[in-house]
Amino acid sequence: MYKLHLILKYLRKRRIAWVSLIAVMMCTAMVIVVISVMGGWLRMFKETFHDITGDIVISRRSLTGFANYEVMIEKIKALPEVAGAAPTLKTYGLIDINRRMRDGVQVIGLPLEQMQNVNGFRHSLYRQYGQYIEATDDPKTTAEDREQLKQLAERPASFAKPYSNEEYQAANPELKGNLNNFAGMIVGAGVVGIGKDAKGKIEHWPALFTAYARLTVMPLAEQGATLDPMTKSDRYFFIVDDSRTKVWQYDSNTVYVPFDLLQKDLGMDKKSYTDSEGNKINEPARTSEIHIGLKLGANLWATRDKIQQIVDGAIGSDQATQLGIDPVVVQTWEQFNAKFISAVEHEKVLVTFLFSLISIVAIFLIFCIFYMIVVEKTRDIGIIKSVGATASGVAGIFLGYGLAIGIVGSGLGLLAGYLIIHNINFLHEKMGELMGIQIWNPEVYAFDIIPNTINPREVAVIMAVAVVSSVLGAFVPAVRAARLHPVEALRFE
Amino acid sequence: MAQLAEQPETTIKSDAAILRASGVRKTFRMGESTVTVLKNVDLSIRTGEFVAIEGRSGSGKSTLLHILGALDAADGGSIFYDNQDIATLDSAGKSRLRNTHFGFVFQFYYLLPELNVMENTLLAAMVEYSWFGFRTHHAELRKRATEVLDQLGMAHRLKHRPNQLSGGERQRVAIARALMNKPRVLFADEPTGNLDAETGRQIMSVMENLHKNHNQTIAMVTHDRTIARQADRILVLKDGKLERAEER
Repeated sequence: MYKLHLILKYLRKRRIAWVSLIAVMMCTAMVIVVISVMGGWLRMFKETFHDITGDIVISRRSLTGFANYEVMIEKIKALPEVAGAAPTLKTYGLIDINRRMRDGVQVIGLPLEQMQNVNGFRHSLYRQYGQYIEATDDPKTTAEDREQLKQLAERPASFAKPYSNEEYQAANPELKGNLNNFAGMIVGAGVVGIGKDAKGKIEHWPALFTAYARLTVMPLAEQGATLDPMTKSDRYFFIVDDSRTKVWQYDSNTVYVPFDLLQKDLGMDKKSYTDSEGNKINEPARTSEIHIGLKLGANLWATRDKIQQIVDGAIGSDQATQLGIDPVVVQTWEQFNAKFISAVEHEKVLVTFLFSLISIVAIFLIFCIFYMIVVEKTRDIGIIKSVGATASGVAGIFLGYGLAIGIVGSGLGLLAGYLIIHNINFLHEKMGELMGIQIWNPEVYAFDIIPNTINPREVAVIMAVAVVSSVLGAFVPAVRAARLHPVEALRFE
Repeated sequence: MAQLAEQPETTIKSDAAILRASGVRKTFRMGESTVTVLKNVDLSIRTGEFVAIEGRSGSGKSTLLHILGALDAADGGSIFYDNQDIATLDSAGKSRLRNTHFGFVFQFYYLLPELNVMENTLLAAMVEYSWFGFRTHHAELRKRATEVLDQLGMAHRLKHRPNQLSGGERQRVAIARALMNKPRVLFADEPTGNLDAETGRQIMSVMENLHKNHNQTIAMVTHDRTIARQADRILVLKDGKLERAEER
């Protein structure tokens, strides 16, 4: 009984111990904030990459892509585990928006209507998805409207132009020629400078969806892939939507166009011609990647193996030899994005380790303060022993004291960490406004908001470590107190 | 004061020695040299007896009291409590002895500054009981502490901290703490040594009352013959030996 009583008394009355309590609190809060931001960043990375990638990806590093993809897709779609599969093209090009904004961009060709069951790219689109969700979340929206908005948001995304040619012509009088030839293009939000206002609301150009863009890409032949300016392909598009995948690398410099148009512009479509020696050549169509979505509950790795067999069969040994060191690979979404994900994973481990190392300071602080307290309390220890307390009982007081400081300190640390994490984007914004400090650079960290989710399991581990550290810090002073001879302790000056 | 602490079984002075020292030796190392403060000390205290051990400063009287009270160990010889050699007890056994059989009053009171009067008095009981046991007996323990404090004239100061009390009041609280667990032997180490003459007299009156009206066995050390004379028997410690005994 006396142990608990004295622990609680010392906790309240010995203000010097509050220093160690604050140290534990700050270290706990610091590690919780760091691990939550880094962990949240990693989780967001994974979720976002998974959402824009699909479950399994067949790809080849070369921009020239690979052939026989239609056969592969047909066989893959026949697998019971597969919900959908679609080819994707990736290349680079030059964009000129409204003849005013010119930039180099990554160009992705998508058969958008087929992507519904493959990945969640649709969820990144503002006009065809985001605006409806925003309106659904508005408390002023009636239940009936909300249902209607949900249905609108559920529609498959497309490159279809939202306005008539007359409306486009009216908005862009400088345009000449047949506007039917203008296809639809989706732009990454960063490409057209879409940002957030002071309240965090995304600001759109008023005339974004009547803007047009000229996209120039260079075809690449499988054999002797060289750029030839004479073969460049120019095509005009109307911007039909903007995409916010939340991955900065995509949003800042990527445009999305219909797959078949890009395939044609890159010279990767199916071709039959006669060469200079009179041989009839049939070149199969090519793609850069095939993205595959699985049904819920499907075994990712087993399905990947099945798809690998399909790919091996479709490529054949001749083509495999020809592809050589740059083969077609079948990867899970995590493998496909490994260079991003593992970098973030390593960064999380490193930063957590470094901050944990700093937190060891707290153990030494507790040790020093407890040592001081034991010295200061030497006579009290003698008194307690004179009324019959055992050595283990006295050690128990100081270990319990350390435990109490660990529990209270880590509890307050959790509270502080939660408040910081919960308001981290607001605090960051205010720091930016008041002091001009920007710690979170979206270009570096890929996301334009700081992740603010707390993982309960990680928090439990951090708190347990904080409590154990506090007890460890109190251990040596507790042993010293236990070993004190009662008479020597009573005579201590 | 008449109703002070309910005392254990013995109500009359018995010839049986409750505490006996036989050939007790104690040596201290002082730098390069050693000082022997107790040289084969023999002593016997009977149940209900009030014994004063008198000696000059540094004569070893406090050391002898600490050894008798199992706070310190002798280098040689034996201490028998109820005919049991204390040296045969392990550390926990000695702690139990100090908790439930012995009570200590020191010259400098030695109250815990963070605890109030009531909590300081309850300290020995808190050590004796587990958390659950203390909660179970809480009411009766508080009643006992209140009674003891009341009889020592400290009932009006229950919530005060030691730094809010006078020297005499602190010593009364120290006596209350020592009596809380109804000890069979009360050890008092210069109980008036830090008090003015009047307050010292009051404290000695409390001790005398404990002895006379409640048959409390008391072993007290003092350097003051006037104080020592209030005991049944005076033993003088000189040059490490109990040289002379004086009985009232």
